[in-house]
Amino acid sequence: MPEQLWFTEFLNHLFAGPVTGLLRALHIEPSYPQAPITNAVSMQVLVFLFLVVLFALVRSRLSVDKPGALQHVFEGVHGFIVRQSEEIIGHHSEGFTPFLVALAFFILICNLIGLIPGFESPTAVPMVPLGCAVTAFIYYQTQGFKHHGIAYLKHFMGPMWWLAPIMLPIEIISHVARMLSLTVRLFANMFAGDMVTLVFFSLVPVGVPILFLGLHIGVSFLQTYIFILLTTVYLAGAVAEEH
Amino acid sequence: MPSPGENPESKSVWVQIARYSQLAFIFPAATVAGWLIGEGLDRWLHTTWLYLVGLILGIVAGFVELIRMVSGSDSE
Repeated sequence: MPEQLWFTEFLNHLFAGPVTGLLRALHIEPSYPQAPITNAVSMQVLVFLFLVVLFALVRSRLSVDKPGALQHVFEGVHGFIVRQSEEIIGHHSEGFTPFLVALAFFILICNLIGLIPGFESPTAVPMVPLGCAVTAFIYYQTQGFKHHGIAYLKHFMGPMWWLAPIMLPIEIISHVARMLSLTVRLFANMFAGDMVTLVFFSLVPVGVPILFLGLHIGVSFLQTYIFILLTTVYLAGAVAEEH
Repeated sequence: MPSPGENPESKSVWVQIARYSQLAFIFPAATVAGWLIGEGLDRWLHTTWLYLVGLILGIVAGFVELIRMVSGSDSE
């Protein structure tokens, strides 16, 4: 049985039976049928629940006359992403803001939750950044098709028709590579952050690890920013007019 | 998120930093992606040479993405 965090144990205690049943129905045999929910999944569930409560709280307290501290923070993040999208995508970028803000908060909280004792960062497990990257990939491709219709496929064919047989596989590979690079960057940074803190904690248990925890906070924000920025750049490429 | 400040030029600097940090990743990522796709096709079609084609196309795709990023036109 793998080591489980308290929240994972709690979820497994409640849902181990139905989850194992569901996995078996999909012809997947879990390694531990008594504990099919892993720490990464339970942490994501926790982050999801936290964000739902947080967004509901902000929604219920919205006020034009007396905006609270929480509303200021959310308006700041929203405004930042709106300005950045306008800078990169141009006008008509407002429609992408909800997705980008939600993804940003999800990744940021996933990165930061590992700093609290008793929790761990789900983004330090490769499947979670991969899930975020696949979501971003599906979203920007869908927006591309929505914007251009079937003509979006021309994006993959290169500038001249006779180049299409060469350009198509190259474009497909470069789009897959974008997903891979988003995944590896986020995963490697979060994993390395955890490892560095652990190593220094085992060497000098007092004082020094705090520096690395600080570094981990900085890296968490920076990686969230880069992930969202690159998603915006890819979105801009998918919905760009000129070709 | 690190605030880039109000001035549009400093904002562009942040965008540039993030874009150029992508340069280090995109070339190996494209190579690995090409190889993985080729390897997958090899297993699916029971061939033994598609991994090489995937690898070469991956390297080419890496160069194409690199040149696009550096020339500032990104994917388009």
